[in-house]
Amino acid sequence: MAKIELKKRKVVIPESSMADIAFLLLLFFMVSTVFVQEKVFWVERIRWPYADSIQKIPRNHTSTVYIKQDDTVLIDDVPYDIEDIESMKIAGVMQRKLNNDANMIVCFRTDRDTKYGIMSDVMRQLQDIGALRVTFETQKKTE
Amino acid sequence: MKVSRKRKGSSEIPTASTSDIAFLLIIFFMATTKFDIKEGLSMVLPPAAKEESTVVKLSQKDMTRIIITSDGEIMFNEENTGLFNQTVFDKKVRELLNINSKMIFSIKTDRSAKYNEMIKVLDRLKAAGAEKISLSTN
Repeated sequence: MAKIELKKRKVVIPESSMADIAFLLLLFFMVSTVFVQEKVFWVERIRWPYADSIQKIPRNHTSTVYIKQDDTVLIDDVPYDIEDIESMKIAGVMQRKLNNDANMIVCFRTDRDTKYGIMSDVMRQLQDIGALRVTFETQKKTE
Repeated sequence: MKVSRKRKGSSEIPTASTSDIAFLLIIFFMATTKFDIKEGLSMVLPPAAKEESTVVKLSQKDMTRIIITSDGEIMFNEENTGLFNQTVFDKKVRELLNINSKMIFSIKTDRSAKYNEMIKVLDRLKAAGAEKISLSTN
């Protein structure tokens, strides 16, 4: 009987498409990344207060209110000044935001040396329109 | 004399390492990306009292008024404890919570006081486990 000789096959995983896969991943992440558009020069000039008992804030329901030392206010990147606060303009702006999202959380990004008076005015207007969920953004104390 | 021609070398660009380069790029971006996570002290403001009926009267023993003066001094029910001192403040809050675990703390901050003082007080109250904290607007 004739001897059947089994041919030994070389097992190789094709690596030629690895680069394509990696670049595909790279491109996917590059395209799908959404950058938060906030006025960076404002954020940099805010000196954060520090606290211990902090929680994470869900980003998708927040409306950010920046308050700087010179009593200027920025609500979701739109600037307002002291007259706008006195004339209850902020209440109107926030009311519109609250109508769009009933679970809105107002997130205060306030400089630590700001006078409390302006915070108090903004908060009272929030109370009037029923936007009661607020957070005071702070940084974790590192000692 | 016959000069032998130089052997032609292959002119292909080596592609074997492209995947390494691509993964290196991915890893670099993964490692350097910083997510902007918001962290802070959450609160629910008391609703604005519009009608007389919504105003709830509280007895003095269930509520502690914390007043922050314009100079940053802390007052517990008219008792001045001086500038904010964490150990003194924590001790005082613990005492009050031992008397009544459902003590309501009402923080009233002077308009010209610094925001940082209010955050310090709020942070220590939360850390001590006070559940009922309210912010008075003035």
